[in-house]
Amino acid sequence: MKLLNLPAALLALLPLINPGIALPSNNYTEHLHLRPLPGGSLYAGFSFTSTTPLSSYVANNFRYFPRALAQILQYTHTAELHLRFALGRWDDESWGSRPRDGLREGGNGVELWAWLENGGDGAKVEGEEARAAEERWSDLVNSLSGLFCASLNFVDSGKTIQPVLSFSPEGTLEAGQQTRTNFTGEKQGEKQGELRLLHGMLPHEVVCTENLTPFLKLLPCKGKAGISSLLDGHKLFDANWQTMSVDVLPVCHDGECELEIQQTVDMVLDVERSMRPRESPIPRPLPMEDILCDEDKSYSGHDTCYPKHFDGEMEWSLERIFGRPIRGSCPLSTATSDDFDVTLEVPADRNIQVLAEAAVPQQSPANSLIRHYKLPEGKDFDLFLPQQPQNPSEPQQLPLEQPPLYVSRQMTGYGAERGGMHTLIRNPHPYSQRVVYLESLPWFLRPYMHTLKVSGNGRLKNMYYTPLIDRKRGTQLELLLEIPAESTVELTYDFEKAILRYTEYPPDANRGFDIPAAVVRVLPTQGEEGQGQYLRTTSLLLPLPTPDFSMPYNVIILTSTVIALGFGSVFNLLVRRFVLADEVPVSPLAGLVGRVKERIGELKAKLKGSAEVGEGVERKKAANGGPREAVGDGSVRKKK
Amino acid sequence: MRVFNLPAALLALLAGPLLATAVHTSNWAVLVSTSRFWFNYRHLANTLSLYRTVKRLGIPDNQIILMLPDDMACNPRNTFTGSVFNDKSRLLDLYDDKGALENLGMGGIEVDYRGNEVTVENFIRLLTDRWPSSHPHSKRLMTGPQSNILIYMTGHGGNEFLKFQDSEEISSFDLADAFAQMYEKKRYHEMLFMIDTCQANTMYNAFYSPGVLATGSSAKDQSSYSHHADQDVGVAVIDRWTYFYLEFLETYLNSTASDVRLGELFDYQTFERVHSDAGVRYDLLDGGELAARNKRVLDFFGNVQGVEIEDGVKNTQLDWKKDLEALQKLAARVEGEQEDVGAGVDPTIATTAKTDTVHQSKVTFDMAQASDSFFKKIAGAASLAVLGGAWMASSALTKQSPVK
Repeated sequence: MKLLNLPAALLALLPLINPGIALPSNNYTEHLHLRPLPGGSLYAGFSFTSTTPLSSYVANNFRYFPRALAQILQYTHTAELHLRFALGRWDDESWGSRPRDGLREGGNGVELWAWLENGGDGAKVEGEEARAAEERWSDLVNSLSGLFCASLNFVDSGKTIQPVLSFSPEGTLEAGQQTRTNFTGEKQGEKQGELRLLHGMLPHEVVCTENLTPFLKLLPCKGKAGISSLLDGHKLFDANWQTMSVDVLPVCHDGECELEIQQTVDMVLDVERSMRPRESPIPRPLPMEDILCDEDKSYSGHDTCYPKHFDGEMEWSLERIFGRPIRGSCPLSTATSDDFDVTLEVPADRNIQVLAEAAVPQQSPANSLIRHYKLPEGKDFDLFLPQQPQNPSEPQQLPLEQPPLYVSRQMTGYGAERGGMHTLIRNPHPYSQRVVYLESLPWFLRPYMHTLKVSGNGRLKNMYYTPLIDRKRGTQLELLLEIPAESTVELTYDFEKAILRYTEYPPDANRGFDIPAAVVRVLPTQGEEGQGQYLRTTSLLLPLPTPDFSMPYNVIILTSTVIALGFGSVFNLLVRRFVLADEVPVSPLAGLVGRVKERIGELKAKLKGSAEVGEGVERKKAANGGPREAVGDGSVRKKK
Repeated sequence: MRVFNLPAALLALLAGPLLATAVHTSNWAVLVSTSRFWFNYRHLANTLSLYRTVKRLGIPDNQIILMLPDDMACNPRNTFTGSVFNDKSRLLDLYDDKGALENLGMGGIEVDYRGNEVTVENFIRLLTDRWPSSHPHSKRLMTGPQSNILIYMTGHGGNEFLKFQDSEEISSFDLADAFAQMYEKKRYHEMLFMIDTCQANTMYNAFYSPGVLATGSSAKDQSSYSHHADQDVGVAVIDRWTYFYLEFLETYLNSTASDVRLGELFDYQTFERVHSDAGVRYDLLDGGELAARNKRVLDFFGNVQGVEIEDGVKNTQLDWKKDLEALQKLAARVEGEQEDVGAGVDPTIATTAKTDTVHQSKVTFDMAQASDSFFKKIAGAASLAVLGGAWMASSALTKQSPVK
């Protein structure tokens, strides 16, 4: 052992001694897999892989690895990163099992998980490590939100969970970390921060062209050449199901480590819809001469008929589906002549025409369903599959692989107060399977754990549960289940809906609140290597009790009125003293006022009298001279 | 040295006329749509049209801050997935014209703030650049005293306010104060503020920071109208005012060398075209209306990549003087603001008067304190005596009256 280790150690030291030597592991390859699916759909899976030696990653020398992303990862001490943008639903009843075992798939919206280093400087204080990791996580989501034009910064503590069983690192983390330590020249003996897995989901996030733009910018050929030239927002986001992924992981072979970035785009296109001209995507009735009529059925009108159903393969080509042909191979690709760029999976008897301006090396193993093509450099490449009626004697079809499980999740109940979650997991296989079921629920959905039931023959083997804290943390529920052979397991629990504060409602509160998809991991059977397979349910829409948003104004106005009336009268009653009428003390001013009134009365009478005199009427009241003068004054004053 | 200096001098000669007209060294654009929901398609189309225009005229993506509160391109109601159109001819896809071969250079679209991120708070934070340290650079307005900024806003508004996503509002005073902060932080050289909403002209009345040129689509109590609808999209696709802005920009600004003045652009928005009274506010800009109208449209819509040459030692010596001048200006402005309370008074008189009042008030205060014990006691005793007298007199009178 010791003898063997010595050269390895020397090898590992080599780049340290002479960093100028470029390691030969700067690679970039890309691949497109096409496979028609039942129901007139086409699966297209794009994958792009670049690698960089860890030494040049640390030294900030990048050839294919995107620098923008690398700097974020370095700054936030991210060891492994997985980012998903997804839209639509994979119809596993008709399309079979998921591509890439569901490993490159995400829940609807945006999903992100990463292994981050804890505070590396051997944090002594308890909780310090966790805080450092959380800060790095916050930096990571913020930086990624800028890079990918997505609101990833909304992944806050309330949406972050730390799954235990559901995810395991794909890369060789420890080894990668160890090597990195060597390269960064940190002290050997020092305790490295442990890695922490953090996971966040944004089910409401829209995935659109602005997310594809930065995704393409990470590629060496930037969507200008190679298979990535097919990627167009108009088609990608019109797909029935699509998912974009970015995965960064350290990979070590024999002590030599490199960092790998895998970018994939998987989509299922509706062939008929994708081939509609871009100018008029609205389906309109065909002109009569283009309709294939079913003459067996009579129709009274001359300008219409029953259209004939066409059994067989429909005609399609890459250019008609994606809007453009592949613009040659990516010249930066380091693929050897044995690697093929495009793989097409169709029945053996299907006619295929390759349209290219240059010779295309291809390979189709005899009687195989798979054909490989290599893209010409700098020349357009297109595949054309003409219409082909079905061979009635022996219809050839691609075999569909059965998915490991069928999972569906619904919400039950009614009303604005309570509800229930109902998940069905069906195992179609003749052997039992162990699965991990992960749910990350927002805090305003409060599950009643005592109502959690696993019915059927399913067995709950283990459970990790983190209860929610209002506005701070969501529920994390991770169940290890055993699903017996050929049976259905039902998982149910009830929940309560929280009432939000007025300012916590989003502008479109009446739409409902998105609940992230549940992640189901089918664990590999014993003795089997790998990650297992992943499935994701669709996300759900939870209607919460939503106020009428003009209500506060009405309430404020009404309340103010009520308070003014109620408070006013009560206050009045409280400060008033009630006494009998004869108990009321005579005010000192009363006599004065009374006398003044008396005087005024007299004056009035006099005034009347004088007026009567003026009109020649007999004077009735006698008075002395003083007041009369005053009357004169008064009248003059009045006229003024 | 001389060999090196010659081309530099030539360059300087060439750049001379350019520098004379444009003293800014970078251009930024903040384009904001503030309304959500499908029926407000036109507001997003407005904003995206402006985005395309400034990008066409050379402002790079990292100097454009685009705020879109809803997703129209990938909206399930959109028949034309991944596309947004601003005209019923649908010749131009605003969201991504990568499909057109000749236009490969435009390179997609980058939205900086979207969905629920488009809030008044974020908008004001963006303008004043108050962010947590983790905020990504691509989402920040990293301008300096040599940057010209174009701010375009569209949405539903009213007298002195603009609604954000139908759940909150920004008032003209919020905006004015944000601009004032920007001015104090030297975040812009000149700014062109454009707003397309109902009663838009009321939004810029409150502005008071120098260097802001503002224009709006409609006067107080006027509505801004949409231009036309597309039957297949199913909603109105663009607003009138923005439509004619674009028409002008597309017709007269065909290259980054077009010498078109702002005055021509503003005059193009006649009542016959816009169906409302488009307004412009010139008075905050140095040189007023004449200078503003004579500025090149490209000073705001196009891009310059100017280089600021620092003369090393000389500049550092002048720095503190400049700062001092700026401080003096600021002080003068603050004083000016205070004077505005008693407007119309000669500034010198006003200041002396103010000091007088301050002095006087101090004196009276002193007096009150000095004579406190005495004066108050005398006054209290006197009032008590008067009241007592009144009481005695009335009681005497009331006693008399029953006798009568």
